[in-house]
Amino acid sequence: MSILQTTHLTKQYGKEPNIVKALDDVNISIEQGEFVAVVGTSGSGKSTLLNMLGGLDRPSGGSVKVDNYELGKLSDEDLTIFRRRCIGFIFQNYNLVPVLNVYENIVMPIQLDGKKPDETFIQEVTALLGLEKKLYNMPNTLSGGQQQRVSIARALASKPAIILADEPTGNLDSKTSEEVINLLKVTSQQFHQTIVMITHNPEIAKQADRCIQIEDGRVAN
Amino acid sequence: MIRTLTNRSFQKNKDRNLVAALAIFLTTMMFTTLFTLTQSMGQNITEMYLRQSGTMAHASTKQITDAQIEQIAAHPDVVSFGKSLVAGIAENERLAGRQLEIRYGSDQYAKDSFAYPTTGKMPETKDEIALDTLILERLGVPLELGQTVTLEWQEGPSTFTLCGWWEGNLSVYASMAWVSEAFVLEACDNASAPKEGQILGLRMMGITFSDHKNIDEKVETVLRDCGITDVEFNTNLAYTAEIQYSIFRENLPMYGGMLIVFLAGYFIIYNVFQISVASDIQFYGKLKTLGTTTKQIKKIIYGQGNRLSLIGIPIGLVTGYLLGSVFVPLLIPNTEMELTTSANPIIFIGAAVFAYITVLVSCMLPARLAGKVSPIEALRYTDASDNVRKKRKKTENGASLYGMAWGNLWRNRKRTVMVLCSLTLGLVLMSYFYAKNASFDVEKYLMDLTVADYEIHDTTEKGQAISDTLLADIAALGTVEATGRLYSAEVELTLSEQAKNNLRAFYTDERLKDFASYDPSFPSWKEQFDYVLDGGENTYTVYGVDGLILEAAASDNYILNGSFDTEKFAEGMYCLAIGPSTDPSDTLPTYSVGEKVQIADREFEVMAVVRPLQPMVSGVSQQVFDLPLVIPADIFQEFWPECNPRKFYFDVADETMEDAYRLLTEYQQTKALGMNIVSRQSMAEQYEAETRALAVMGYAISIVIALVGVLNFINSMVTAIISRKREFAIIQSIGMTKRQLCQMLMFEGGYYAGMTLIASYILGTVTVGVIVRAMVEGGFSTFHFTLLPLVCCTLVLVILAVMLPYVCFRNLEKQSIVERLRAE
Repeated sequence: MSILQTTHLTKQYGKEPNIVKALDDVNISIEQGEFVAVVGTSGSGKSTLLNMLGGLDRPSGGSVKVDNYELGKLSDEDLTIFRRRCIGFIFQNYNLVPVLNVYENIVMPIQLDGKKPDETFIQEVTALLGLEKKLYNMPNTLSGGQQQRVSIARALASKPAIILADEPTGNLDSKTSEEVINLLKVTSQQFHQTIVMITHNPEIAKQADRCIQIEDGRVAN
Repeated sequence: MIRTLTNRSFQKNKDRNLVAALAIFLTTMMFTTLFTLTQSMGQNITEMYLRQSGTMAHASTKQITDAQIEQIAAHPDVVSFGKSLVAGIAENERLAGRQLEIRYGSDQYAKDSFAYPTTGKMPETKDEIALDTLILERLGVPLELGQTVTLEWQEGPSTFTLCGWWEGNLSVYASMAWVSEAFVLEACDNASAPKEGQILGLRMMGITFSDHKNIDEKVETVLRDCGITDVEFNTNLAYTAEIQYSIFRENLPMYGGMLIVFLAGYFIIYNVFQISVASDIQFYGKLKTLGTTTKQIKKIIYGQGNRLSLIGIPIGLVTGYLLGSVFVPLLIPNTEMELTTSANPIIFIGAAVFAYITVLVSCMLPARLAGKVSPIEALRYTDASDNVRKKRKKTENGASLYGMAWGNLWRNRKRTVMVLCSLTLGLVLMSYFYAKNASFDVEKYLMDLTVADYEIHDTTEKGQAISDTLLADIAALGTVEATGRLYSAEVELTLSEQAKNNLRAFYTDERLKDFASYDPSFPSWKEQFDYVLDGGENTYTVYGVDGLILEAAASDNYILNGSFDTEKFAEGMYCLAIGPSTDPSDTLPTYSVGEKVQIADREFEVMAVVRPLQPMVSGVSQQVFDLPLVIPADIFQEFWPECNPRKFYFDVADETMEDAYRLLTEYQQTKALGMNIVSRQSMAEQYEAETRALAVMGYAISIVIALVGVLNFINSMVTAIISRKREFAIIQSIGMTKRQLCQMLMFEGGYYAGMTLIASYILGTVTVGVIVRAMVEGGFSTFHFTLLPLVCCTLVLVILAVMLPYVCFRNLEKQSIVERLRAE
């Protein structure tokens, strides 16, 4: 069963005659539990695609369907709520909230939703990611790899439909990168978690179950 | 290149420029206002004293010869001089009450004396005269050149033709009647000096130097150079050190204000630049990597400061000057003189320089920060100072909105503290000034000056008493609510041993010496004092009082010793002794309480010693050495039935206040020109005028400080939100709704307001409850505990704290999350 589907997805920036087609008729489908890598050179449109999938930006044409939500039809407020329930984000620069400690960062999306975090699940996740001893640390006391693990934990915590990872290893050295990718892979398998990861590194892309190549805003096969 | 960078970076930061330019504008405006006020105050006070002394000349002499005048006039230090030749004083009946001096004066002398004709000219021929409008009005001469004017003086009546006039001014001690030199010379038979004890033919001279500093020394030099020893020049009162010092003292609060403005301006401008530099730190890091030197980076920042000054300072100068000219009349309650707002270039130069210095000082630290940044550090730099932050936070409460807001508040500790301090300072100062003003007790102040709606004191009637007809007229008003009578008589008495001992104990050598140093009447006082102590009989004043004046004179505030019992006093066996007005000491220089005193043929026991009450004693006693006693008015009348009251006090119903006033003034005009009328209302008005200046100044300063606090608050809130644009986008992307974000920001504003208010209430309570209470002790004040301004500001602050984040948030919303996420 496909958890994410785009049909004729198009995104344009600017106005005539200077239209830039960031995405042009993209049709992709991702299955539940898949670990997919989206690869492409810089400027190919992969970040735009990720923003579309995560409901951060609205398409100019076509549709995005995630977990039976038609994103184009949601209001801004509903989109935010959709995001915190169905999407987990992992950013290249971790994007942790500096005034919150590790634990608070992890449970923030859940608490913003007014729900109680599933403590056993959180424990499981933090144990898997090796964060048990760092729960009360502030983000600025952690290394890059540790911070990225926190953001993975944050993405996992609300058991989202999909995790969207934008160059998750972009700021990390190769050894740490490998560790993080492995963790992503393990979590994908262990929690049957759908993960869509953007990268421009073919080595990292190889670790994924499937690779989608984007070139000039189109899916290349 | 540096210039291009400065320009570009200037254009990039539009919002910051607005805030900074506004801050510079406000700073300049306040500086200009204060400079305008100090200058104008100085100028007006000097002017006031100049008029009092009657001349603008730096130094003047009242006795000199023509030869000496010529000699001094030729001295290089003397910039200008005026010469006058006195004829005499006009004695026309219609001029009673206003001195008119008939003199010849050179043009310069007339100008220096505020008496140069504005219409017509100075007299040239023997029959010409120039006068001021006040005198012409009194003489009944129409304002028209060529009119005939006759003046009576010691040489008989002289008739002149009016050749010029100017606007008369009552603040100058006397009016001038300018006549020609020929007229005076003829009158004194060309004598070169006046006859002994005469003023006819007296030569006077006023000289002016290049500036009014060290006039005494300059005069000395001139006289020494000319070899003149028998002429004494007086330095103009307005330019003496004492007056100049008093001007400085009047201006002290203004100088304090300048310091505060400097600090306040510094806070804002520094904040603006600090934030701007911090957010552009990567940019400066890149510049450094590319080889820009520290000096050049600093230049970029100072360059931006200069540009902002160029916009802010001129606007500030203009508005500040206008504001100053509005304030001048409020600060100087004197209404008789036409007030001028000084347009001295010092105002503009000074304010501009001060404002510019503030800008430079404010840019100093940010420039250093930008200058010393290392390229690598710059990439990691965030506005918050990371190093002082806690490493771990033990909590499992998770991410609550208010918790996050609290955390955000302390990301830049220094700034937050600064905002809190300036807001609190403003509020506390405002409370202080308000409480202090509110403590001034008009009633207490008036009590010392008047005890009733009206007080009349007739000094023209025979025996200086109030006529029965007037008393009957007042009673006929029908609305008199309370009255008070005051009689007085002079009684011959010999002091008791007890009283003499009290006097000896009170007037120690030290006190006597002190007394002698300031009171010119001391020798005659001392003579009687010694005589009395030797057992001599002396004349003392005995007052007979009842009603309003007795109540006031024997009120608790005025009792120095003993206690007052109205009923017992009325029996006629007791009297009150009036003691000193100064602070009570162990012994009082009068009778002791309980002592017996013989007045007329009755013996009175001293019930209490009271402070002299002005409405009772002023203008009554003529004795140099006096130990006044007070007895009931009825008893007084028994002793001296022929006496009428010296003073009469009465309260009338409010609706007939005007009628009573009309009755009194009519009587004054028609029957008793010398009758003195004191109305509580006019006293209250005078009081208002006297205290207004202080109040206005106090409020102005506290409003400025509070304004600075608010500006700082707005600035730090806005920049905190703008600089966290991206962070908000992140939180939004992982699921914080707009509502929640908005709430969080409002929490932050709320914390600011809350903490400010808590601090203000605590400090305000301490300030008002302790400091103000201590300060208003005694004097004309009654302490009231009030934090009214604080209560008023509470609402304003809370609204601001909630509205501001909301407005910022709306602004933020215009950019999409993706845009903000990308923005680096």
